[in-house]
Amino acid sequence: MVPVPMAELFAIAAGQERAGNLEGADRLLNRILAVAPGQPDTLHLSGIVAFRLGRHEEALAKMEQAIALGVDVALYLRNICEVYRTLNRLDDAVIAAKRAVALAPNDPLCLHNLAVIHYERVEIDESIDCAGQALMMSPDLAGAHFARAEALLIKGDWAQGWEEYEWRFRIGGAAKLMPATDKPQWDGTPFGDGVLLLVADQGFGDVIQFCRYIPWVLQRCPNAAVACAAEMIPVLRQFMPEDRLFVRWESCPPHKAFSALSSLPRLHGTRVENVLAPVPYLRADPVRAAAWADRLRRLAPHSPRKIGIVWAGRPAHTNDRRRSAKLADFAPLAALPGIALVSLQKGPPADQAGQYFGHAPLVNIGAEVRDYDDTMTLLTCLDLVVTVDTSVGHLAAAMGRPVWILLATSPDWRWLLNRDDSPWYPAVRLFRQTLIRQWSDVFQRVAAALVEGGGGSLVATA
Amino acid sequence: MSQPAIQMCPCASGLRAVRCCGMNPAAMPPPDSSRHLMPLVERAVAAHRQGAIELAEKLCLDVLELAPDRPGALTVLYQIRKDQGNHTAAEALIRRVVALDPNNFAATNECALLLLSKGAIQEAELQARNAIRIAPQNPQSHNLMGMILTEAQRPQTGEYHYRKVLELSGARDPILLANLAWNLKNQGRMDEGRTLYQESAAAAPGIRQTLLGWARLEEADRKFAAAAGILDRMEQQWPDDPALLLSRAVLLGRMKRYDEALAVLDELAKLASDGRLGPHELAEKGRLLDQMGRYDDAFAAFGEGKRLSRDIGGQHYQDEIAGHLLGRLKGFFTAGRLNTLPRANVRTGVPQPVFVLGFPRSGTTLMEQTLSAHPRIVAGDELPLIDDLTGLMPRMLNSPLGYPEALAELWMGDQRDGLDNLRDYYLQKVAQMSILTQGAAWFTDKMPLNETHMGLIALLFPDAPLIHVIRHPLDIMVSAMSNHFTHGFFCASTLETAAKHYVRVMDLVQAYRSEMALRYLPVRYEDMVTNQEATVRTVLGFIGAPFDPGCLNFHENQRYARTASYAQVTEPLYDRSRFRYRHYRKHLEPVIPVLRSHIERLGYTVE
Repeated sequence: MVPVPMAELFAIAAGQERAGNLEGADRLLNRILAVAPGQPDTLHLSGIVAFRLGRHEEALAKMEQAIALGVDVALYLRNICEVYRTLNRLDDAVIAAKRAVALAPNDPLCLHNLAVIHYERVEIDESIDCAGQALMMSPDLAGAHFARAEALLIKGDWAQGWEEYEWRFRIGGAAKLMPATDKPQWDGTPFGDGVLLLVADQGFGDVIQFCRYIPWVLQRCPNAAVACAAEMIPVLRQFMPEDRLFVRWESCPPHKAFSALSSLPRLHGTRVENVLAPVPYLRADPVRAAAWADRLRRLAPHSPRKIGIVWAGRPAHTNDRRRSAKLADFAPLAALPGIALVSLQKGPPADQAGQYFGHAPLVNIGAEVRDYDDTMTLLTCLDLVVTVDTSVGHLAAAMGRPVWILLATSPDWRWLLNRDDSPWYPAVRLFRQTLIRQWSDVFQRVAAALVEGGGGSLVATA
Repeated sequence: MSQPAIQMCPCASGLRAVRCCGMNPAAMPPPDSSRHLMPLVERAVAAHRQGAIELAEKLCLDVLELAPDRPGALTVLYQIRKDQGNHTAAEALIRRVVALDPNNFAATNECALLLLSKGAIQEAELQARNAIRIAPQNPQSHNLMGMILTEAQRPQTGEYHYRKVLELSGARDPILLANLAWNLKNQGRMDEGRTLYQESAAAAPGIRQTLLGWARLEEADRKFAAAAGILDRMEQQWPDDPALLLSRAVLLGRMKRYDEALAVLDELAKLASDGRLGPHELAEKGRLLDQMGRYDDAFAAFGEGKRLSRDIGGQHYQDEIAGHLLGRLKGFFTAGRLNTLPRANVRTGVPQPVFVLGFPRSGTTLMEQTLSAHPRIVAGDELPLIDDLTGLMPRMLNSPLGYPEALAELWMGDQRDGLDNLRDYYLQKVAQMSILTQGAAWFTDKMPLNETHMGLIALLFPDAPLIHVIRHPLDIMVSAMSNHFTHGFFCASTLETAAKHYVRVMDLVQAYRSEMALRYLPVRYEDMVTNQEATVRTVLGFIGAPFDPGCLNFHENQRYARTASYAQVTEPLYDRSRFRYRHYRKHLEPVIPVLRSHIERLGYTVE
């Protein structure tokens, strides 16, 4: 028998896992398990590594095995609940998370995980309560602040929610807002003797949603500039000259203060009752619109109703597994007579257009869309847009175009709860999942609404 | 000391490889240096003429061993090998004669004929064009061109050459008339064809091919009694003629007298020297057995037919060539590149194309018959023009690269309107084909597997509707087995290669659709059968044509569908062809794993 220094090997594997060398840790842990298959710590860590490598089912099997060995370790339960949540087993997730809390009542991370699971189960008060308990134990636990922020915001308690939302940049591993600076974060006080640098943070949808505050900012700080991704220039130049938009940090002008675009609602004091909604606040270039209308008319000339569709968001988005659907889910719409589906989908999920064989014609116009200017002009040529929660939904809504946004049971906080409209966008109609991660009934309702004649009147595509 | 082995040429010409296909042209002695061999060549010619074949052969081989480029000896040896049925050697030899003397009309003519008989129509056409360049006033060259173009599915242009023969010869040769009649039959001009057959048969009653063609015309025109009468007439003179018996079996099959048809084929097998049927007869037998519900026997006949076809014709799937081209197409037509390429402008004032796409035997003929029953849509049939353009493109765009890379020339200032030129070539050829009738707003192009070139089509005709006929892939496999077709790089030579090519093409279609905004409508063959009116309305609506109830009665469409589906599309829609694969489930087992992902993607199941 070859002597195996398991404790040492395990320590090395754990170090590799912490250092991000997942393949190395995976190999080592599997070697240990080959010799000692019933070692719970190894099973647990091996499960974590498998989870991080995307092998979710294997991860779950290993972690369940670790727990089944009869060792009541809170850490195992705290971690397995996240695996359950990812695999959409929310009942198992909440049971495991509660057991973890019971085993380690003083561990704020257990409560944080439970708060996140409650949010996903749309148990918002419970989520706020758990996050609050975690913060009582560990007041600087940024993740718990953020969990509480999302729960407060979706509940409509924006006064507290915006404050908690400021913790988002302090979460471990979260992208920093900007390079380290000694300049202060803007507090909303007007000044005219320097530059206010706005940072177009978060996703493109957030930028489209919060750029509405730029005129409000310019009234207070006329010398504002914006640091943004290049893709956002077609949107932001509708508010300020292009020479005030910067896509590289080193090009940004010296500034007196800074603010994230997504922090402006807090500074503005936005509440559900007083949302700044000057819709339409984005407009398409009319010259381009004529060209796109002609292109679309040629590709789908005889379809009385042209419906733009987007079925998936950016795959790297943390919430993507909840918010994205598949093109095949649009089947109830595709079965309707008299419509053409116009795909505005970009990115890897756009490949699904090649696999579509539904009844309604599908025009994959997304393949010709180069930027948000193109998207905006295209939106003016469509009768309706039906999309999951993506930037295209925000864009159409900001332009005041008819748009139906399809949401998960536990959507992003901005869509609130139990309503089919949005204070942010008057033209939006929301369709919510009734069963967790089940799209079928959502699309059935969308199809029924289309049959009833929803979605706005026809547009002339001259 | 051992002698090195003599390596004979694999083409079986009887020459050494270094004196035949493996010859190095640079190492050839000057022609004059072998003039002393001329007497031997003359003796070979004389011997061949007198029927002393062995002597002629020996003399030719002797001459060619010393001087492999003596055209006379090559021509005699070609004739000998051709008469022996050694087509590979014959082709190699006649090609060499043409290469040595490109102005040799007789050799060029022979070469074209040989290529035509082997089904290499594109190459045959090149040779025939040369023959006309060499002898523009020679009726023989125009006759050959007429035959080739008729076979190449361009009967309208073929008709021009046949009529040129009439004009040049100043006579009404019965065989020529029969050829022209066949051409007219392929254009669906049945009455004109019938009149010419009548004239031809009256002038020369004993020509078998004339009567066979005439009978085929009557059968295609659903004049079964007339067809039977002509076959009866033939039978008196050639009672055991294999082609007659096959035509008889086909006719009986169309009359649903399956037992009798089968008995005729059995009789035909007994007459064969080896007691077996040929590829086409086996395919027909399989189809009859299928109609009779004897599916195992039917599939066995199909399989044997395919095997024989491969053995005799040597036609195998051009796997590497197909994979290479389709891979290059997928690599070229990407969204990033397409956003930088121009599109042809739409030429107004002329009927616009409607492309009916699909794998062979997927229902494209049915779709075309349906559409062309509309008063404003005419049938163009299988137009070979897109394929022609892929060959002509490098020259037309002045590119050193092949298709599709030659499209890179469109970035050059002097080729900005290159796509307009390609588009005009296509439209001009269509106009020459006389398919466009007064009042037509659209014409169909239903060349199977044109979806392979969907990217090019969308560049040339960005507004043209692309109607892709979809059918259960396993049903397509059954049809591919029960028919012989050459489309798709001879993919239908085996079940496995048909499936492989199907997957390749559908993957390419998927890539085009992911990378391009296309005016594309998939239509299920099964929907055309079970939900005809709604499907027809959808398709016409997509094209932009108002609904016409005549399209629902496409079987009354007087137009003759030239392809293998003609017998089906002259009958009302029937359900038998839908999910026919279920009868052949076990036979299709080898390709189900290959096709499964596409079956599922298309929304079908395997039962």
